[in-house]
Amino acid sequence: MDAPIKRTGAAPRALMLLLMIYLLLPLMATCIYAFARDWQTTVLPERWTLEWFGGMFKDLRFMESLWNSLYLCLIAVAFSLLVMLPAVFVITVYMPRLESLMKGLVVLPYAVPGVVAAVGLIRAYSSGPLNIAGTAYILLGAYFVIVLPYMYQGIRNSLLTVSAGPLLAAAELLGAGRMRAFASVVLPNIWPGVLVSALLSFSVLFGEFALTNMLVGGQIQTIQVYLYHRMGESGHLASAIAITYFVFILLLSALLMKLGQKVNGGLKR
Amino acid sequence: MSVYLELQHIRKRFGAANVLDDVNLQIREGELVTLLGPSGCGKSTLLRCIAGLADMDGGSILLDGKDIAALPPRNREIGMVFQSYALFPNLTVRENIEYGLKMRGIDKTARRRRSEELLAVVELTEKRDAYPQQLSGGQQQRVALARSLAVRPKVLLLDEPLSALDAQIRKNLRAEIRAIQRQFNMTTIFVTHDQEEALTLSDRVCLMNKGRIVQEGSPEAIYTRPRTEFVARFMGSYNVLSRQDALRLFGRVERAAESYAVRPESVVLLNGRNEPLEPGRRVAEGIIRSMSILGNVIRYDVEAADVRLTIDALNDGRSLPLAEGSPVLLALDEAQLLHLDREGA
Amino acid sequence: MWLGLVPFLIMVLLFQLIPVLSMLTGSLKPASGAGISFGFYARILQSAYYMQAIKNSLLISAASSAIGIVVGLACAYAITRFPARTRDRLLMFSNMTSNFSGVPLAFAYIVLLGSNGVFTLLFKQWGWSVFGGFDLYSWSGLVLVYVYFQVPLALLLLYPAFYAIRDQWREAASLLGASRWQFWTSVGLPVLSPAVFGTMGILFANAMGAYATAYALVGGNYNLLAVRIGSLVAGDVVNQPQLGNALAVILALSTLLAVFLNHKMTQRARRLDAAFVAGPRPVRKRRRPPRPLNAAAAVAGKEEL
Repeated sequence: MDAPIKRTGAAPRALMLLLMIYLLLPLMATCIYAFARDWQTTVLPERWTLEWFGGMFKDLRFMESLWNSLYLCLIAVAFSLLVMLPAVFVITVYMPRLESLMKGLVVLPYAVPGVVAAVGLIRAYSSGPLNIAGTAYILLGAYFVIVLPYMYQGIRNSLLTVSAGPLLAAAELLGAGRMRAFASVVLPNIWPGVLVSALLSFSVLFGEFALTNMLVGGQIQTIQVYLYHRMGESGHLASAIAITYFVFILLLSALLMKLGQKVNGGLKR
Repeated sequence: MSVYLELQHIRKRFGAANVLDDVNLQIREGELVTLLGPSGCGKSTLLRCIAGLADMDGGSILLDGKDIAALPPRNREIGMVFQSYALFPNLTVRENIEYGLKMRGIDKTARRRRSEELLAVVELTEKRDAYPQQLSGGQQQRVALARSLAVRPKVLLLDEPLSALDAQIRKNLRAEIRAIQRQFNMTTIFVTHDQEEALTLSDRVCLMNKGRIVQEGSPEAIYTRPRTEFVARFMGSYNVLSRQDALRLFGRVERAAESYAVRPESVVLLNGRNEPLEPGRRVAEGIIRSMSILGNVIRYDVEAADVRLTIDALNDGRSLPLAEGSPVLLALDEAQLLHLDREGA
Repeated sequence: MWLGLVPFLIMVLLFQLIPVLSMLTGSLKPASGAGISFGFYARILQSAYYMQAIKNSLLISAASSAIGIVVGLACAYAITRFPARTRDRLLMFSNMTSNFSGVPLAFAYIVLLGSNGVFTLLFKQWGWSVFGGFDLYSWSGLVLVYVYFQVPLALLLLYPAFYAIRDQWREAASLLGASRWQFWTSVGLPVLSPAVFGTMGILFANAMGAYATAYALVGGNYNLLAVRIGSLVAGDVVNQPQLGNALAVILALSTLLAVFLNHKMTQRARRLDAAFVAGPRPVRKRRRPPRPLNAAAAVAGKEEL
């Protein structure tokens, strides 16, 4: 820090290396297990195979759970966008004084664990006028709440970084109606940021287990729930599923990162 | 020339606070009026009320004989340039300038003609296909100016348009704005907190404080004849003396007033006691407490009769700077002792 | 304009406020009849079984958070020693692996250290008896797995705090005669402490609410609050849902308290920050300060939703 050119010391390097190994170990083990015919008392397995992956894709229940996960998450994110875009827009641009209230509502899911949320949902909707326990509707409602903080933060930050307020004022003074102003100058400028939070929300929901299992575990199998059920049966097959899942999430985060950089870069252009 | 824009009894409250407290203002066609004041004095709010971006609690706005107070912003025929430029980042320079024309349904060839015209005025013809982020701050602000002029508004509002820019660019753009304003004979309201900017730019300055216009007049008038202590302090380094201070200093003062303002350069320092006294001059003894050289002016901090005075002397090399602690004689024409009204009177 | 808020308010009311209220009222209802009763809470307090679940959860959360903080602090300091590009890569990597959580994570540890796990068998073969007593499905095993998802989160939340300690402070302190150690105890750690306690709160809440990992790893074999609630409310044999309500309220109180601690500490950190934001901004040459931490990204590290 004193010298003009700072060299990273040996201790930080060693520590980071250890951390990387520690973080990679479970992943590597699962990965090797997924490709191993059998792996017992050797450091690395002696014979490799692809049969676990083959079995996985031939398994109709796997394909079905993958499909369930995909469409449930997609619908939930799309629905959340539809509801949150106008709400966050109205609050951020026109009623900034209500922001703290909104923030309070929106950060609650941070503080309330999934198990607790599930308990409340089950009690509220197992009987009475809205009996939707065990259906996809209750799950979609729960998913909506889970992604609230991500959606709110993402949309709000986008609106603030493009300073939507002045843009809108300028457009209105130049003769644009409110709707037209929103569509022509606000939406095109915030959508990359909004897309990033939508993708983030999607990957969060894709990895969700607690609420899904408790609310609809018996009725609808998502990929996480399916993995849980397969765990006890065949370790190798479960490994293959876990690795497939992880690779999918990895690709999603890579896409997210690329987009995120584009959003940041675009503003600096 | 007759009145073109008239503000009558504009009021606005935020909770218990009066943001705008009965503001009245008349502006002639082609005039450039500055709203000057410290932050929070209500000048930007007033501008937003005129534009229709903020609601008023009372009052009317007459533009060219029509009350526009109830109209939405887009029907007011008012252009505005924002402090943050508010250029649309997804549109090119040309598309930004043509935006208002497009909203009015003007066809493409006419739009092109107009945007080329304005690009030439703000000297950005080369940059027409650039995006706002690719321009410097000064260029962005010129685009914003062109964009608001493109639709030929009846009034142009400028909300601290230069405050985000560097000093040198600020000076150049200031002159450019003034030139364009004259060229288009554009009725303009310019909001700033910078008194130098207000004095160099405007036909008329309105000094605001706490939601009211406390003094308005030509730049010369407002600078040389402040009417209240607030104006005196805001417009420059006036010394403000209470009546007791003035009496202690000079023995007697002809006209009674609540307080007096004295410009730093109107006090003369006499080094020694043998210079002849002109009639009408008041004299006091003092001691130099500190001095600093500001360039062409030497600024002294002088203590006299328990009063601290700021006094400027020309740094012309003819008299050596007086050292700290040296005794001096102050002389002042009674005519230079400006009478101030009580605040808010 | 209000119209834009209506769907949002309806959704929040239906799926956030009503369920929480319903849970609260459910936990306060007497087993039979009307009125308000603390009967379920009393039963929990008297039950050695549920008290053990609460105690286990608190202990595991405290232990895994404490270890997470210590490891996280060391790693956060180390990561600020790297050039900005490497630092960002390392953080990215740590975030990537934190996607591997919940059920897959539990499974990975079973592969590694379960009763037929690779390491377990290897160690046995090599005759390493030190690990002989280790049981993945016990207290120590759970802490080990929890630490795995606590460390990246701690790292992500803590490393920006190190940038609040300005190089110039260090230089000033050393000119004033302070040793490295004295600087850290008198200035460095006090400046870090709000971030440390705040992160502690988040980690604790994160561990208390962790369900997927525990459920997949130990199922019903180890007595944890979150798992207990799950089986009471949505288990195969649902017998006492109202008891689940009361337990859930207790769990929510603990996490809310922990998150509240974080909130308070963030405020304190901001006050500290404001103190030096007021001064002139130093020009930092080589060390690029971290990008403003995106709250969404930070909480993306939250393992168990």
